[in-house]
Amino acid sequence: GRRPSFHVVEKDTRSVIPECFSHVPMAKRIPTAHAHKDVHPAVLAVGQQMAAFTLKDSIARLQATLLAFKKVLEAYETPKGNSLSRHFVPHVLNPQIEYLTECRPMCFSMGNAIRILKAKVNSFDIDTPEEEAKEGLLEMIDLFIKERINLAEFVIARNAAKTIEDGAAILTYGRHRLVEKTLLRAKRDGKVFSVSVIDDPYDNGGQEMAKSLSRAGIPVFYSPNLGGLRAEVQRATNVLLGVEAIFANGSLYGAAGTADVAVAAKTASKRVIALCETINFDRERVSVDALTYNEIDPEQNSAEHFRLLFDTTRDYYLNGVITEFESGTGNSPAQAI
Amino acid sequence: MAPSRTGHAPTMEKLVKSLKGQLLEASIDSYIHLLKRRQVTGDDCAEATAHILRQVVAKSKWSDVDQLLNAVQSVGSRLVQAAPQEPVIGNIVRRVMGLIRDEASEERNADETMSESISELPALAPPTTAVHPARPQPTPFRPPPLSSVTSFHVSRSKSMFNLLSVADTMHSPQTGASTPMSQAQPTSMNSLRSEVLDGIEEIMDEISQADDQIASFAEIQINPTDNVLAYLPSRTVERFLIKAAAKRKYTVFLVSLDPPNTHSGEVPFAALRKKLNSYGVKTIILASNGLMAYMSRVNKVVIGAKVVYQNGGLLVESGASVAAQAAHALSRQVIALGGVYKFCPEDPSDNIAGEKGASSTYVSYSDGLKVDALEVENTVVDYVPPELVDVYLTNLGPQTRHHLATIMADHYKPEDVGFSLHPGELY
Repeated sequence: GRRPSFHVVEKDTRSVIPECFSHVPMAKRIPTAHAHKDVHPAVLAVGQQMAAFTLKDSIARLQATLLAFKKVLEAYETPKGNSLSRHFVPHVLNPQIEYLTECRPMCFSMGNAIRILKAKVNSFDIDTPEEEAKEGLLEMIDLFIKERINLAEFVIARNAAKTIEDGAAILTYGRHRLVEKTLLRAKRDGKVFSVSVIDDPYDNGGQEMAKSLSRAGIPVFYSPNLGGLRAEVQRATNVLLGVEAIFANGSLYGAAGTADVAVAAKTASKRVIALCETINFDRERVSVDALTYNEIDPEQNSAEHFRLLFDTTRDYYLNGVITEFESGTGNSPAQAI
Repeated sequence: MAPSRTGHAPTMEKLVKSLKGQLLEASIDSYIHLLKRRQVTGDDCAEATAHILRQVVAKSKWSDVDQLLNAVQSVGSRLVQAAPQEPVIGNIVRRVMGLIRDEASEERNADETMSESISELPALAPPTTAVHPARPQPTPFRPPPLSSVTSFHVSRSKSMFNLLSVADTMHSPQTGASTPMSQAQPTSMNSLRSEVLDGIEEIMDEISQADDQIASFAEIQINPTDNVLAYLPSRTVERFLIKAAAKRKYTVFLVSLDPPNTHSGEVPFAALRKKLNSYGVKTIILASNGLMAYMSRVNKVVIGAKVVYQNGGLLVESGASVAAQAAHALSRQVIALGGVYKFCPEDPSDNIAGEKGASSTYVSYSDGLKVDALEVENTVVDYVPPELVDVYLTNLGPQTRHHLATIMADHYKPEDVGFSLHPGELY
């Protein structure tokens, strides 16, 4: 189990958090020696990468988690007198999940995927042979990655690219995989348009995207921070936002600053479209305030600094959401799934 | 980033001292040089401009009012052109020109009072149209220049602001006013010179006292347990927050869009935080690009204005509009701080954010991408539209947008509004 020193470390890193934000969780690096002995090495590695934010966005974390779970399954042998459907989840899978959650709060897509995975395990009969159950689960994970991640990304990029008209000036914030794929796809489809990237100087992902778009031959304007927001919104014809997740009430959960961009765009009557895979939709959680669900940036957590990683964008700042299943207003896909 | 911006700029004291020690033309040139190199910025521009114009009045050769106005206008235009990003310079030039007109018309009026025995308050007289039919004016004023900015309100009402206005003519003693101006007697010009110099001193006092006067309203605006967000606090805002801290237990969120320079090891807002903390006021530094995330915890946003335009819009530090916009989205009040001398009788330019800072500090091209492939838009100033501002807190107290026209009319003459657009063409 855990050692006492573990708690001392935890107290230290959280003690500088201002009281009004003290309820917000924060990722933390757990020395591998302190991890539970039952945690599989593959999961251990994924947890470390999530705590260090080398695995950062929701889909990257989901995919890495699922692949690690495949390793856990492959190594799994049901103890004598037990069945996989009764033993695997409480004694093997749950300790992995607990560890990952300790490294960094679980994202919605991981929660959704784990729920689906557990339902699949429960669907096996108590006397289903172990090999058959394992095969079934491994196949399910492969299909899940193929459909909900790879195919979803392809379909969203294709559908979103169709909405880009010749002469459009697209504004986007930071770097989001779906937005980048969409813009590159639109360029390949022969669309003529320009892109304005507003970056978050605490992240600088936008700079990489600006360069990647620029290399593809798309005219790019790059603003290093939100200081350029007003001018860039005026120049833009529409706004594409890639988001981390969507709440049951249609609010977006996006990188901190996303809401500021959406508010500015809506005020200037520009069309605001969010891109998101349905696996990132949450059917139960509702958020109208960025402090209901959020995470503290561990890199900026000191006596001198405080930073939240996400913000909440209310659905009335949005004109639509594009998912792999349908396009509609902020609310409709949430109701659809 | 911002707290160190004025790091190597000369202090105001040194600047004034060096300007005083030079010949007039040399000190104007060196001030213009400093403006162009952005070594004098923001609030310092107002003070330094008043100093320079004081020297223009004191040292330049002029034998009548129009020559004096011309001298001030031509130097003023050069200063404005040297630093178009600092509209406060133009405000001070207009104030001095208005002051000269007031003093000149006061001398004439005083003369008329002597001959016609009419007791009339000079401040109630139309400012420059005092063309008396019985007496031919030596150099009649031409009609005000028509320009794009003449939407300015012409009415000059006698109001509370007028009475309080430091540069108001009513407080000036009427000395040597009995000499007819048509002969341009040296004694009359000498008295005009000393009246104008006194008036400029008063403008300088107004500038230096504005921050304290604004701060005196802090305890009304800041209440116990308030969570106040201050975006890149200016000197004015810092003084306001500290004054409030002496009376109120509240919390300050300090924000800038850019991460602090980690190489310099500089602690952001260190001096301000130390002062606030010494009063028991908590400070939280938000290291964040977006501000919507925190706004539900904030109930007031305080923004230091570089300039308040006549429509009520603000010229501000880059990114301040993000704070104002987030506050507005969640119905939090936005308080703009700025002395009356920052009120600019012009409309904001269409392209306020057009001014760009250095881009290479933001983008590394070491990965082989051509430098011109990316257009980097690094803005240094920003604009807050009037609909996002709830209160304008000035040295004359809190104002609403509807009061702005009156304040403008009380401090500027319509004929001086577009002074820099037609340099040398006025007379």
